[in-house]
Amino acid sequence: MSRVFRVWGKKRGNRRTGSRLMGTVGEVLFSSALFVLGIVSLTALILSQTLSTSPPFPPGFGFWVLVLVLSSFVLLGGGGVVWTILHASASRERRSALARRAANLDLRGSVEEADAPRAVFPNVPSDANLTNSPGVKLSYRLPVVQSPAWRLIFASVFGLIWNISGAILVFFAVKSIVSGRPEWFLVLFIIPFVAVGAWVVRDFVRQMLIHTGIGPTQIEISDHPLRRSASYEVYLSQGGRLWMRSLALSLVCEEAATYQQGTDLRTETKRVFDRQIFRKTDFHIAPGLPFEHQCAVEIPADAAHSFQSEHNAINWKLVVRGEADAWPPFERAFPVIVHPAHDRHEAPGRTSDRPADL
Amino acid sequence: MTVTKPLAEPLIALRICNPTGLFHPGEVLRCEYQVDAVPPNEIQAVEAAVLWYTEGKGDEDLGVHFFERTTPSDAIDGDLRQLHRLETQLPLSPLTYNGFLVKIRWCVRVRLFWGHGKQLHVDRVFQLLPERS
Repeated sequence: MSRVFRVWGKKRGNRRTGSRLMGTVGEVLFSSALFVLGIVSLTALILSQTLSTSPPFPPGFGFWVLVLVLSSFVLLGGGGVVWTILHASASRERRSALARRAANLDLRGSVEEADAPRAVFPNVPSDANLTNSPGVKLSYRLPVVQSPAWRLIFASVFGLIWNISGAILVFFAVKSIVSGRPEWFLVLFIIPFVAVGAWVVRDFVRQMLIHTGIGPTQIEISDHPLRRSASYEVYLSQGGRLWMRSLALSLVCEEAATYQQGTDLRTETKRVFDRQIFRKTDFHIAPGLPFEHQCAVEIPADAAHSFQSEHNAINWKLVVRGEADAWPPFERAFPVIVHPAHDRHEAPGRTSDRPADL
Repeated sequence: MTVTKPLAEPLIALRICNPTGLFHPGEVLRCEYQVDAVPPNEIQAVEAAVLWYTEGKGDEDLGVHFFERTTPSDAIDGDLRQLHRLETQLPLSPLTYNGFLVKIRWCVRVRLFWGHGKQLHVDRVFQLLPERS
């Protein structure tokens, strides 16, 4: 017999060992209590202000804070009741089918042109942002997955704030030592703080060197999206003023899984395919004369197609790795989309998608 | 002495009309399902879905390709224990995948709502594989 109620219940990810019904009842009771508390308290607060017999005075800051807090009780409680009842009354498949149907609804009754491939290939990411930039040598110039400039800006802002805070703390620590009353706790606290600040400065300098010293990397491709067993021309261009120890281009596939651990949301990635397409060692890149190379890349016959869902993904990309004299190694990634190999592009019709069936 | 355990839960029979369980994108999946060992007046609804779900390190994702829900009011005599047939054309993606962190599985799921808020479901896994050229 399943236990109706237990004091201690284990939570394993999204699964619980306790009674589902009791859990739902508990959630509804909690949300209802919050809602009632909010409504009653808010009403009492407003009535006490409007029907007060004592000399009237304008509502102050505290009054408005109370109104805000009690209103949030009403919203959270009411929303919680609705959400819990909706969750309890419909299966996961039904909720998913309803969500899909809602997502497919379009006021004009048509699918957006940019979303058309996604309608044909569900859960395969759209390549609209990868094919909107024409190439010089080949059809499309691929965007880099993360602009180095953004990382540089982030490193500089973070480093500035951290090191200003560190400088202020060092000032007070030195002042306490000079005055003959040293604050040892502060001094001990500063040591790791300054160490982190030094590491941030080092990272900033490294980013700055990579951004300014190593020139732009460009990748162009002859066609997109990619299909299994097909071959494509790839054009690589690397600018700068460098003596390259090595420059390599690889086709990479990564799995990414996002999961909840306690209250944290973590993402783990694993490189499941990494094939080097091109590698050149010991050569010089002159300013204004970028290194250029064109080669073919073949998508393996057994390759998984690109996939994207809420918590899981399969991502393909072209990765350029470089090592230059006197520069830290760098890696730049250019995402590509691999479609399932089909020549047919018509979306199969669903035999049941009527509202009555939901 | 043999003690017969009372039949506490209904039975759900679910069969995919393809002995190999292998399908290619765009093919038609047919299956049959039937609910039994439960009084007809205790059945609140039966849901059938063709769906994919993920397994592995990440939180589970689920996508429903086909869904139908039948309630006693949909049946002529209000009895949902009769044999039901399901037919749907499979989509072009996502294909079955068996990776390290991410696995994609396809299945037919029949869920029975019965008694006072009780649920029971049965899955039949199949594979959606690419066509070999």
